[in-house]
Order: sequence, then C-alpha cells, then structure tokens
Amino acid sequence: MGTQTVKVVILKDGKVVARGKGFSGFDPANSAKQAMEEALKAAKLKPSDLSHVTATGANMSLAPKADSTISMMGADAKAGVFLFPKARTIIDVGAEEARAVRCDERGLMAEFVVNERCAAGAGAFIEAMARALEVKLEEMGPLSLKAERASPINASCVIFGESDVVTLIHRQESKPEIARAVFDAMADRISSMVHRLGVNPDVALLGGVAKDVGFVASLKRKLGLDILIPEFPEFAGALGAALIAAGKAERSHK
Amino acid sequence: MSSQEKKYMPEISQKEVDELRNQVKTASQRIMAENIEKMKKTAKNRPKAMEYFDEVADLFGKRPKEIQAAKESGKKVIGYTCLFAPIEMILAADAIPVRVNSGWYDTSKLGDRVVPVEVCPVIRSTIGAKMIGLSPYLELSDVLISVLTCDGMTKLGEILSDYKPVWSMPIPRVKDSAQSLRFWREELVTMKGQIEALTGNKITGKKLKSAIEQTQKATKAFRRLQDLRKGNPVIMGRDAMLVNQTYMWDDITRWTEKTEALCEELEEKVRRKEWACSLDAPRVMVTGTPMIWPDNWKLPTLVEEGTPQGVLVADELCSGERLLYDPVGVDEWSMDDMLNAIGERYLMASTCPCFTSKDGNEDRINWMLNKVKEWNIQGVIYYVVRGCMSYAMEYTRIKKVLDKISMPVYYLDTEYTREDVGQMKTRVEAFLEMLTARIDL
Repeated sequence: MGTQTVKVVILKDGKVVARGKGFSGFDPANSAKQAMEEALKAAKLKPSDLSHVTATGANMSLAPKADSTISMMGADAKAGVFLFPKARTIIDVGAEEARAVRCDERGLMAEFVVNERCAAGAGAFIEAMARALEVKLEEMGPLSLKAERASPINASCVIFGESDVVTLIHRQESKPEIARAVFDAMADRISSMVHRLGVNPDVALLGGVAKDVGFVASLKRKLGLDILIPEFPEFAGALGAALIAAGKAERSHK
Repeated sequence: MSSQEKKYMPEISQKEVDELRNQVKTASQRIMAENIEKMKKTAKNRPKAMEYFDEVADLFGKRPKEIQAAKESGKKVIGYTCLFAPIEMILAADAIPVRVNSGWYDTSKLGDRVVPVEVCPVIRSTIGAKMIGLSPYLELSDVLISVLTCDGMTKLGEILSDYKPVWSMPIPRVKDSAQSLRFWREELVTMKGQIEALTGNKITGKKLKSAIEQTQKATKAFRRLQDLRKGNPVIMGRDAMLVNQTYMWDDITRWTEKTEALCEELEEKVRRKEWACSLDAPRVMVTGTPMIWPDNWKLPTLVEEGTPQGVLVADELCSGERLLYDPVGVDEWSMDDMLNAIGERYLMASTCPCFTSKDGNEDRINWMLNKVKEWNIQGVIYYVVRGCMSYAMEYTRIKKVLDKISMPVYYLDTEYTREDVGQMKTRVEAFLEMLTARIDL
C-alpha cells in the first residue's frame, strides 16, 4: 500500500505466482482491490484460495481484507534477505520515503533509519527535478549517465532543490550534469543514512527508485560498493508482506 | 531603559491575549481529558488510586486554586525551569515550588514570534505560554529560578525576565572538580539568601532539616513506585509518568501520601497477579528531551497504544525519573552539612547532557546501564525534539554503549506538533514489531 502505487504479490509454495499493480490515487482501498483482482486473475485463483493476506506500506490500514499487517521496515528486511540471503543492509527508496534496515546474522531486523520529514531523498524528488528540467521522468537516469562532471545542489528540501536546479539552468549547465547532480544529492542523503547503521558489504536496494539507472550509479559511487538489485524492486515490499503471510499461514496449519 | 520596556517580548493587545488564551485553554482542556480517557482505556486493572493523579493533572483545576488561596494568605510561589532549583530551601522558607516548563504545542507557535523555529520547542512553548498568560503555575510564580543548563534554558530566563523577577542559577559544566563544588555551594548560599529575602522567612537549621525529611519521604515513595515497575507490568508507563510529573506542582506531603497509597494498591495487584497489559508487550525505556504534560504525551501514547503494544517501564528524563530518584543524603544535621548534601544531590546526581567530563557524561551511561539490567529493558527509544542539541549530540555516545550490550535503540526526532503522529507511529510500531520478533526467538 505505497503512497504512489499499490502492489500485490501472490506466493504459492514459496514461489511468486502473480503480481498486480495500480496507482494509489484518492481511493487506495479500491486500487488495492483492483490490483488484487488482477493478480488473482493472472494466477488463476479465487479470493478464497488465499490462506493469509498481509498488508504493508504507508496506507496499510486501508488494505481491504488483510488478515495482518507488517511494518515497511519489517517487510524490507524479510524481502531483502529472501532475495539475497547474504544481504544484511537493505535500502528501500520509494516515492516519498527512503529507508535503510540493518539485519542481524539471523536475518532479523536489528535497526532501521528513515529519511526525515522530507521527500528530498525519495522518488518524488526525481519527479520534481524532471519537471524543472522539462524532461520525462524515465529520461532522467539515462541522461545523467552522459554527464562528465557533477554540480552540487541542495538536497535538504525538494523546494530548495528545485530552485537550485533553476539556478543551474540559468548558469547554462548541461541537462545531463544537472540530472546527475540530482541523483548525487539523493545518494548523498541515503548513503549517510546507511552509514549511520554501518555498512555490510552485501547491500540490497529495493523500491521503485531502484529501477532508475541514474540513481543506482550515483549510489554505487557514494557507497563505493556494488549493489544487489532484484528483478522487480518495486514489488519487494509486497513480497516481504507475502512472505510474512506465508509464514503465518504455515504456522496456523500446524 | 524604562522598566516597562521589554527586551524580547512583543507588545500584544489585551484582546488578542485573551482570545488566544481562551482558544488554547479550551483545546488543552479537551486534550487533557482525552489523554486521561485513553490512559484509562489502555490500562487493564487500572488502580483506583490513579483518580487522585488524574485530578491533580488538570492544569486548570483545583491545584492552581489551592496555590492562589495560599498566596492570598501570604505564601510565596517560586517557579523553576530546571531540576537544579533547591526545592528543600523553598519548602524551608514556607514557600511553594512549582516547575514551569511548558508541554503545550499551540504555544510553541506563539513563541515563534519571539525566537526562530530552530530553537527547542520546550523553550518556544514556555515563551508562548507566558505571552498569553496560559500556565497557571507560571502566572502564580512570584519569582523564577532560571537554571543555566542548556543554551535554550539560559536564554529562556532572560526572556521571561520581561515579566517576572528571575534569579539566574549558573551551574558548573564539569561536576567532579573541587572548584565546581565550591562554585555550586556559593550559588546555593546566594539562593538561600534570595529566598529568605523574598519570603521574609529565615531558613533555620530546624526548618531545613524538616524540609529535607519531607523530600526524602517523597523520594522513598517515588522509588517504591519505580521498583514496582521492575517486574511484570502492574502499572502502565503513562500512568506512572503522570504520577511522577504531578510532583512538579502538587503539594509534596499530599503527593507522597497518595503515591504510597498507590503503591500499596499496586503491591496488592502483584499478589493477585492483576497485570496492566499483556506480559508479551516489549518493555521499553525512553530517554532524551523532557516530555511534558499535556500535549507532549505523543510518544508514550504511541508506544502504549501501538500495534504491537509496548509498555514503558522506565525512563531517563528530567520530566520523569530524574525528578526525584536521588534523595538528599545528610550525615550530620548541621547547616553546613545540609547545604553540602543539597549541593551534591542536585549537582552530582544529575545525568543531564549539559554536563561533561574527561569521560563524557558517565553518570548518564551508568544510570541507563543499570536501568536496562534491573528493569529488564528490551528496547530504548531515544527521543529528541528538534533544536535540543545536547541530547541530539550525546546520542552517538549512548548508542555505542547500548550497541555493546546488544540493546536495540531507536532515535526518534520530532517537534511540538500533532501533525507528525502518523509518521512517528510507523516508526514506533516498526521498532516495537522488531522487539517482539526478537523476543519471540
């Protein structure tokens, strides 16, 4: 139940059998219902076939027919360790929030940090900056890779960041360089969050923003590490919730 | 400068003052009632003795009227901002001590007219409360003891002196040196003289002894209550916190009697195994910026009404356990010895991060390690309001210490606002969930 999109993952015998997705919009409960129907259809299942439904995300309390909930950080930890068994540092960058979770040797969440009170470290920041640069959101990443150097901008606030971008445009900096500055600024914020937890060499990146090649390149540079990214990073939170649901269903059968 | 000219405070029309005061007061009365209702609902087997504290928690209720009546009969009221004000001297001079820090969110917005938003909201809120004459205890104070602890508190006294006589009380930032103790003792002697001059009552050895005995009894009751929180939860953390806070304005002898009665009831509940919540609830300690009734009750509420539910069993707060945990320890009842004992109780025992030494704030670390062990703490929430620099900076040190004993700790930063409750809830519940998962194993 993300702030921008709703995602559904259905697990059967430990394997993902279907995914569903929709915009949260003004009625996240209804969007969730539709995404669930879509996933059920793809999996050729009926609602009654679901043994347990677990919701997570900012709007988790609005999830229709959820049997339980799990915090976003808990879902990240579960999915991150499931996807990459050696990963102990898990980063999730979504539309409006960035989180970092550290897991202990057993793979259980031991500590987490969340970006504070501002979307400047999250996906919405890239969107706002793309608007200022007059490029499409999906062009931002590839554009930034063409930059030869970076220009620093203020990433403490979306609004200030936007006015910094305007200044750079007036200074006739090239668009690729400005795009890279945007990702560098985000990566700066997120890497200091991660450093507060202590970095383990196996770092997993989850959440929709993990699909952005520009951001990934900046984060790799800042952390000085390679980063593990799953095939469907935006579904990772839903996957974490599904894994929790599977665990609960299994326990109740015993 | 003429005596009317204000150094800081803006001129506000009486009409605006009255309007604002009525608005905030009405909202505050609603919030106090809501908080008490929520606390009643959350606690299973809530002790009957809590009724007294629910009542005395009403900041606009009976207690201010009682103080008003005492004032009319000639008693003086001495307000204080930090815990270093020597309560025993105030009592010995037959005056009434009240703590005047503000927990109102709405008044912090008014304080923004005087100081920038970067300033700690406890300070801004106290300034705002004074601007509109909201706090009965602040209004009733004849004089304020302003203890120069953090930067905010230092300037707060200066700002409040636009309205009231203020006695500054500087503290030495390093406790364990001979010159610090000499300096502090001089401060106490000066304070004694000031209190005597204001009240017209001499602080005799006999009176001071009786005042010390009075607070020693209060400490005994206080410790009895905190000891009851070591075992299975027999009282919710919010209820215990409310009891602790009312000490800041209640009549001390009556408070002691009522707290002893509460403890008796709780001991009976322990015998009958009537617990306040599920025994699976993670046991949490909070530390950091003071949390002050009524609005600044946000974090305790989130913990104890969370999914999963947690229970606060201890705190390291100057609005909580630090208030009364340490008794004044006197060997011989000479004036000299009593002054030394008071000096030590206020200075040496304090774990406030305004202190430092070559080992840092060791006393705070030892206090926390002892609490973690003796109170079976399963997780610590380190609470900081924006602008509270000393607590924010000391976090790194405390975290290292807690990491070493594998004690989970979460740094929660917030403001004097209701708007971030949703965000805070997400974090607090994730932390509680994490503690629950660890306990399950």
